[in-house]
Amino acid sequence: MAVQDWTYRLNNFRGKKLIAIAFLVFVLIGIPFVIHSPYYIHLLIITGMNAILAMTFIMMLRTGLISLGIAAFWGIGAYASAALVLKAGVSYWFALPAAPIITGLIAWAIGYLVVRNPGFGFLILTSVIGMLIGLVFGNIKWLGGFTGIEYIPPPNPIQLPFLDPILFISKIPYYFLMLVLFLLVFISFRALYTSSIGRAWMAIGLNPHLAESTGVNVFRYRLIAFVIASAAAGLEGSFYAHYIGSINPNAFNIFKTIHVHIYAILGGTGFAFLGPIIGTFIMTFVPESLRIAKEIEPILTGALLILLIIFLPGGILSLFDLRHRHWQSFEGVIRIGKGIKNSPSSSEQRNEENHVKSERLK
Amino acid sequence: MITLIGQLIIDGIVTGLVYVILAVGLVLILSVSRIFFIAYGQFYMLGAYIVWSSLALLKVPYFMGLLMAVVATTLLGLLCYQFIFRYIQYRGSFLANIVAAIGLMMIMGQAGLLIFGTIGRSVPPVFPGILSVGKISIPVEKLVLVILTLFIAVAAFFVYEKLKLGRAMRAVSLNPEAATLQGVKTNRVYLATLGFGCALAGFGGGVMAPVYVIYPEMGSNIILSVLLVIMLGGMNSMIGAVLGGLVLGITLVFGQYFLGSMAQIFLFVVIGIIIFFRPGGLLGSAGLDI
Repeated sequence: MAVQDWTYRLNNFRGKKLIAIAFLVFVLIGIPFVIHSPYYIHLLIITGMNAILAMTFIMMLRTGLISLGIAAFWGIGAYASAALVLKAGVSYWFALPAAPIITGLIAWAIGYLVVRNPGFGFLILTSVIGMLIGLVFGNIKWLGGFTGIEYIPPPNPIQLPFLDPILFISKIPYYFLMLVLFLLVFISFRALYTSSIGRAWMAIGLNPHLAESTGVNVFRYRLIAFVIASAAAGLEGSFYAHYIGSINPNAFNIFKTIHVHIYAILGGTGFAFLGPIIGTFIMTFVPESLRIAKEIEPILTGALLILLIIFLPGGILSLFDLRHRHWQSFEGVIRIGKGIKNSPSSSEQRNEENHVKSERLK
Repeated sequence: MITLIGQLIIDGIVTGLVYVILAVGLVLILSVSRIFFIAYGQFYMLGAYIVWSSLALLKVPYFMGLLMAVVATTLLGLLCYQFIFRYIQYRGSFLANIVAAIGLMMIMGQAGLLIFGTIGRSVPPVFPGILSVGKISIPVEKLVLVILTLFIAVAAFFVYEKLKLGRAMRAVSLNPEAATLQGVKTNRVYLATLGFGCALAGFGGGVMAPVYVIYPEMGSNIILSVLLVIMLGGMNSMIGAVLGGLVLGITLVFGQYFLGSMAQIFLFVVIGIIIFFRPGGLLGSAGLDI
């Protein structure tokens, strides 16, 4: 009857995951006290930022939308935040939450147009948005034209009672701000995946026609995924603008989006959180430590992409995950084997429940 | 005023016809093999550079250079399929195809930049002279471009609609599994499609070489307009690609004359409005299934 052996219980033990996450957060908090090199702290901050962008890519991918315009919304967030602080003169702590809201509203307007047309249409339209965004920002004189915005002030100091104010001079306050944003995005994404919205996304990712026939409003849930992912990218953009201190339109071109794709695919698209983190970590630290020349970097990246997709389509994590065989989950649009198995609507479980009910009736 | 409008329309048609050639090839690849072949623009760049180098370095006649460009891009397209996409295509995975195509685009773009340098090149005029009809003047080379392009477009339609290969392509684009059951060798059809599409890209680049400046980023720049053409015309319609190319060419030339560099943004807004009402483009059916 029920497959309730010990491996099943261990695999479905939720506390295990929670302990691992708590341990990871503890390690991440401890890192600045151990590593004093600002260079490595900088790399960690960049890793966190790119990992969130890769998570937004996976969020859209799970509903069957492959976006080539992630960097565009990242740029919209950066420009919104910089313009709010520099032109409107508001505090950074007002601009930080305002940037994702503005990005989300723009994404909602654009999404109404592009999400209607999934598949190739979405891909083509988002890639056009990704290519046009530099041109759009470059043509707006108010936002600095093609030279971009320079001298963006760092975040305002945080005044705490009984303590010295936290000044954003060294990298360490930025690191903790990044950590807070990362956890915020992580927790909210995780909550979304486990909510009814997440289950609707999962249904759409498995089979959009079937989902539609069972009463899921496919367009609406895809639009929600698009808007939330874009808003998270906008949040990261706001952080990026004030961390780097200057932005220009060319930073948000389509190649940035392609790098985001590489991060997600290298880690494994079957893993919503661990995949992007691992992939981004490798792609940030390995090229830096090898000191690859800038001229041949795109050639190596392109070759890596092709080799990866031929030989390891499930990403690095699929090597360690022998139970679920994620290279199989990569086939078709996207099948989320793990998510479906753990979800309460899993057909296996439902069959078991029905079986139990029929036993009881007897 | 009439002279100006006539001149702009002719310029628009000439610009649009290059888009037509590229869009027909890309529509073929998209609808038959379902590869989002974003590296397509690089083949166009390669075709233009091969014509330039064969004229400037090997000193061969123009049509010989054009032939070399077409042959080289075809071979490269076949190699791309044989060594990359063959191992991905059978999985039927949409993302894998895109990612491989993106990798190819990055490699080819950067290789072009490293080999040919950043300086813009131009082929010496092959057909000098200007033809005047009334007050409207047309350079002869643009006229030759129009004739060559129309010839190739008709040839492409002949292949797609009349030949056995074209029938196999249409069958595969409708349903690959059913086509396999009917005895169509899908793998060969995909191979032929990629070779044919890349040949069209190389031809487009070669035809355009004497008229415009050649630079390494032109492949990445034109792919945006080609994608817009496909979106406008419909993703699985070749007639739509022709119509979309001409509309886009004329709109772009008028927009650039009256609006300057905002023309492309204006164009995107116009296309956005069209897609809002007709999600599949002007002539395509809504949503190519992935």
